[in-house]
Amino acid sequence: MAVGISGYGVFIPRLRIKREEYVKAWGSFAAAGVAEKSVMGFDEDVLTSAAKVSKRALESVPLSPDKVSRFALASTSPPYTEKLLSGTVLVTVGVPNATYSSDHTTSTRAGTEAIIAGFEHVMANPKGIALVAAADAPRASMWGSVEHQLGAGAAAYVLSSENLVAELEGHASNVTEHFGERFKPRDDPLLHDLNVKKFAEGALISNTTKAASSLMKKLNRKPEEYQHVVIQQPDAKVPSSVGGKLGFTEPQLAAGLVSKNLGDLGAASVPVGLAAVLDIAKVGDKVLVVSYGSGAGADALSFKVVGDRKAVPRVQAEMDRKEYIEYVKYLKLKGAIV
Amino acid sequence: MAHVSVPMYWRTIPQRYKMIGQKCKKCGHVNFPPKGVCKYCSVSSEFEDLQLSGRGKVHTFVLISSGGAPPEFAEQEKAGGMYPVAIVELAEGPKVIGQIADADPKTVKIGMPVKTELRKIYTEEDVIRYGFKFVPATEEK
Ligand SMILES: [Zn+2]
Repeated sequence: MAVGISGYGVFIPRLRIKREEYVKAWGSFAAAGVAEKSVMGFDEDVLTSAAKVSKRALESVPLSPDKVSRFALASTSPPYTEKLLSGTVLVTVGVPNATYSSDHTTSTRAGTEAIIAGFEHVMANPKGIALVAAADAPRASMWGSVEHQLGAGAAAYVLSSENLVAELEGHASNVTEHFGERFKPRDDPLLHDLNVKKFAEGALISNTTKAASSLMKKLNRKPEEYQHVVIQQPDAKVPSSVGGKLGFTEPQLAAGLVSKNLGDLGAASVPVGLAAVLDIAKVGDKVLVVSYGSGAGADALSFKVVGDRKAVPRVQAEMDRKEYIEYVKYLKLKGAIV
Repeated sequence: MAHVSVPMYWRTIPQRYKMIGQKCKKCGHVNFPPKGVCKYCSVSSEFEDLQLSGRGKVHTFVLISSGGAPPEFAEQEKAGGMYPVAIVELAEGPKVIGQIADADPKTVKIGMPVKTELRKIYTEEDVIRYGFKFVPATEEK
């Protein structure tokens, strides 16, 4: 039985800050290749965004929320460190209270963790319908260079065995023990990063390339057989470094490279990148996505596009809907000055 | 600040998160937010739940700026700037008050189509109070 993506939806908050604003304030901007990034409004958070994309994903099928039999939520920046998060989204969207749900929150790999959890449900239950939402707006101290890259966005997917837009061909993962790169100690709501750049890059490259190559080996696939590849985007350069090691070229990475205009979307990075690819993909295209979470681990998933039903609005339309803010307003919105 | 206890807020979740209104069993009018006694016939207290579309049009609005915000919204005004508060006539008839989010205040107009979505309204006792706000309805088209 084929399982896959039956629908999807995206949301990008309207506010943007340009790299020039950081250069004016700090003298430099640390996020390679990022021209501008998205910022959540004062009254938005990952739960309001997850509710919005969940509704859009269901509308794109279309499917009534009471059909959902599995819900999963992914974010590294939830508004609470203890309190069930899915309930807010589930109740807002109208997903039945008896639906099993899970919250995935401890690394930027959370988005694909939730998607794989959803697929496991539909593979075990042929009539099952999983709704998976990834929404993120990571926060760090304004004094840390890791803060420069952090953006905001959300995407949701309806996974099932019917009305497929893209069929899942397989998935593979790799997990290691690494530390010092992008972590949150229990008592701090802000990201830490010890700036052990080479070490962190090694963890990212080894996990992502291992997950991706073991999947490609399993599927007997060569790099050139993929039309589109989406790789975790802490900035807009990392995908090229990883992609280069795996034998992928810039054109294969182009459609899913949303970080250029949105920044680091954390757990929503790969989900939003995949949505941007599905927006323009043609039937028959193969798509590889590879997530990464510090700590560390990577998931790779391979899809074959089998339908040309597109979600509304497209990622590009969400990118184009924007209002620029200055750095001082950014600091106020982030609660850095009160 | 007008204190709303956690249990009191919780009871209003259907109307605040998902626009559940009530249809009067006697006169058929739609009440939103839900009432104890029908606002239209003033006699009936028999209702059935009705899922509203969340769509409507701006009937009238004001812009709340510096110093004009109630205490629970003061922080929002300071961080986010001036914000519009509107009376919206819902597609199903009732007129309700709500903030307009995700729009440049200068672009808000009477008659403008809007729809509801979930937003953070304010935080009290460290508990985020979520509820609907209106956003421009043309954004998805
Ligand atoms: Zn009545």
